[in-house]
Amino acid sequence: MGGATVDLRLARAISRAKSRFGAAAVATGSVLERRQRERRFATGTSLDLVLGGGIAPGEPLALIGRGSCGKLSVALRLAAASQQDGGMVAWIDPCASLDVVAAVRAGVDLDRLIIVRPGSRDDTLLAGAAALRSDGFRMVAVDAGPRSISAGAARFAAGLDLDDVAPLLPIVHGSVAALLVIAETRGRRTALPALAVERVAWDERFGRTRGWTFSVSRGGAHALFHTSAFSSNLTDLGMREQLRVAAG
Amino acid sequence: MTPRIGVVHARDAGIRVHTALLELLHASLPRVGVLDQGTFACDLRGMVRLIGPPGVWGERAVAAARRQGIGCAIGVASAPFVARVLAERTPPGANSELSADMERAFLAPLRVNVLPLEAALVEELGLLGIRHIGEFADLPAGAVLDRFGQAAALAHALAHGDEAPLVHASPPRRRIRARRVWDDPVHLREQLVFALRAVVDEVVASLVRDGLAALRLGLRLDRAEGGPLRFERLILPPTANAAALLRSLRWALEEWLPEGQFVGCALEATEVEPARGRQIGLFAPDGARLEEALAVARHLRSRLGPGRVLRAEVVDADARLPERAAQLTEVTS
Repeated sequence: MGGATVDLRLARAISRAKSRFGAAAVATGSVLERRQRERRFATGTSLDLVLGGGIAPGEPLALIGRGSCGKLSVALRLAAASQQDGGMVAWIDPCASLDVVAAVRAGVDLDRLIIVRPGSRDDTLLAGAAALRSDGFRMVAVDAGPRSISAGAARFAAGLDLDDVAPLLPIVHGSVAALLVIAETRGRRTALPALAVERVAWDERFGRTRGWTFSVSRGGAHALFHTSAFSSNLTDLGMREQLRVAAG
Repeated sequence: MTPRIGVVHARDAGIRVHTALLELLHASLPRVGVLDQGTFACDLRGMVRLIGPPGVWGERAVAAARRQGIGCAIGVASAPFVARVLAERTPPGANSELSADMERAFLAPLRVNVLPLEAALVEELGLLGIRHIGEFADLPAGAVLDRFGQAAALAHALAHGDEAPLVHASPPRRRIRARRVWDDPVHLREQLVFALRAVVDEVVASLVRDGLAALRLGLRLDRAEGGPLRFERLILPPTANAAALLRSLRWALEEWLPEGQFVGCALEATEVEPARGRQIGLFAPDGARLEEALAVARHLRSRLGPGRVLRAEVVDADARLPERAAQLTEVTS
C-alpha cells in the first residue's frame, strides 16, 4: 500500500517536472542507457554531418521547407536509413501524398513500411502516439502535407501543422523510435530540432526543368543535394564548406 | 512393498470434472500426473505423515470429490498400471488397495487386451492360446521381445509388475496475479497507466520465472464509488514482455475508460502458455519488431476504420500515373 502511494506521488512529480521543464527533463536510467546503446540511423550521406551522425531514436526532428524543395526526398532517405537493421517505419500521411515509387527509389523497403492515412488531427495523434509507444517501429514520420492545402479557408480534413503534433513530443522521448515531422513552416508555439530544406538552384536544360539543387542545414552546417525531377534520384553533393574550398 | 501410487479415475469425465478433480488433488498432494481425461496418478511416497496411510487418503479424497458432486474411484498399488487397472474396476465412490504380493494374482485372470497392446497382437496371442495376462506373464521375457518386439516386451513387464513407480507430475496451476490498493484515488488515464506499470512488472516477473507467456489478461479496477470495472485483453502473440502487456492495457483504457476515482487494481494472467523461444535477429537485429508493428497496425485499423492503415507494393514502376504505379492493401495480418 505504501509502495503504491509512492508510485502515484512519483507519477505526479514527474508529470509536474515534465510540464514545467519539458518532456526530456525526466528520463529513467533504463531509457537513458537504452538511448546510449541505440545507434543513430546514418544515411551514409552529408546529411549525417548535419545531424551529428544520423537521426537518433527517441528524438524528434522536423524537416522544414517550402513545397517541392526536397523535404520528402530527405525524409525517405532517413526512413530507409532507419530500416537498415530491419526496423519498421510508420508513415503517417493525412494528405495521402506519399509517392510509393519514389520511396522505393530512395531505398525504402515497402515490406517494412506501414502507411497510415488518418482523417483528422485527432486520428493523426492517435496513430502517432500508438506507433511511438510500441516497440515495433524505428521511425514514425508525420507528413503534414502542403501548406496551401492544410492552411487557410479551404482547410484539408487533416489540417496539420507543426504545432498540431506537439502532443507527440513527450511520447517520443521515451520511445525507441525517432519522430520525423515534415512541414512547410516552423511552429509558432512548438520548438523542436529542425533541418531547414531550401532550394538553391534549378537545373534546367533547353528550357525544361530537370531537377534542382537544395541545401539541408542546421546551425552553420549545410549539406547540398541534387534531385532529379524525373527519377527522384538524390545525389549527394557534399558539404557547402567543402565545395567552397574545392572551388577555391 | 508398501503401495505408493494412487490412481483416481472418474468415468466419462468431461472437462469440468477433469479440471475440478485435478485442482482438488493438487490442493492435497505435491505430485499429481494426468494419465488421461479424468484419470490421475498420485505419488504417495513419503506422504504418510502428512496425509496418513493410503487407504485413509483414498477415503478422504473420495469424500471430498463427492462433496463437489464428482463420483470417482481410487486404486492404490505399487505401480501406476496396476493402480489404474484397479481404479477402473472399483465402483465410483469407493477406493481399493492392493498389496505388492497380490498384484500379480490380481492381474493374472484379466484379459490380455487390458495391457497396452495393439489389436493385431492381441489376436495373434489369442491364436497362440494366450488370452489372459497371467499366461502372457509366464512367457519368457526374451522370447516376447524377440518375437513380438519392444512394445510387447513393455507390456510383458507391466504384466509382471515390473513398472517403476514414477509419476510424471504436472505443477499445480498457479494464479499469476498482482494487486495494488492506492491511498489516493487516481482519475487520470496517464496516471493509471503509470500506476499499472508496477503491477504489470510483478506479473511479468512471475511469468518469466515459470517460463510462461500471457495469452489473456484480466484487469479489475476498483472504484471509490460503484462496483469494480473489469477488462479482459487477448494478447497475440502471447508474451511475457512488460511493454507489450502494458501497451495492450493502455489500448483498453484508451478505448473505454469511464469517469471515476480508482482506488485499486488487480491484474491476472488468466490464460498462459509456455513461452516459446524465438530465433530472432538471425537476418536482421530488428526482426522481432515486425510482430509488434503489425499488432499496432491492426489496433489502428480497428480504431481508424478500413482504408486507413495500409501497406504498399509497386505494381508498375513505369506507369504514367502514380496511382497506377503502386497498389495499397489493407493491413490485416
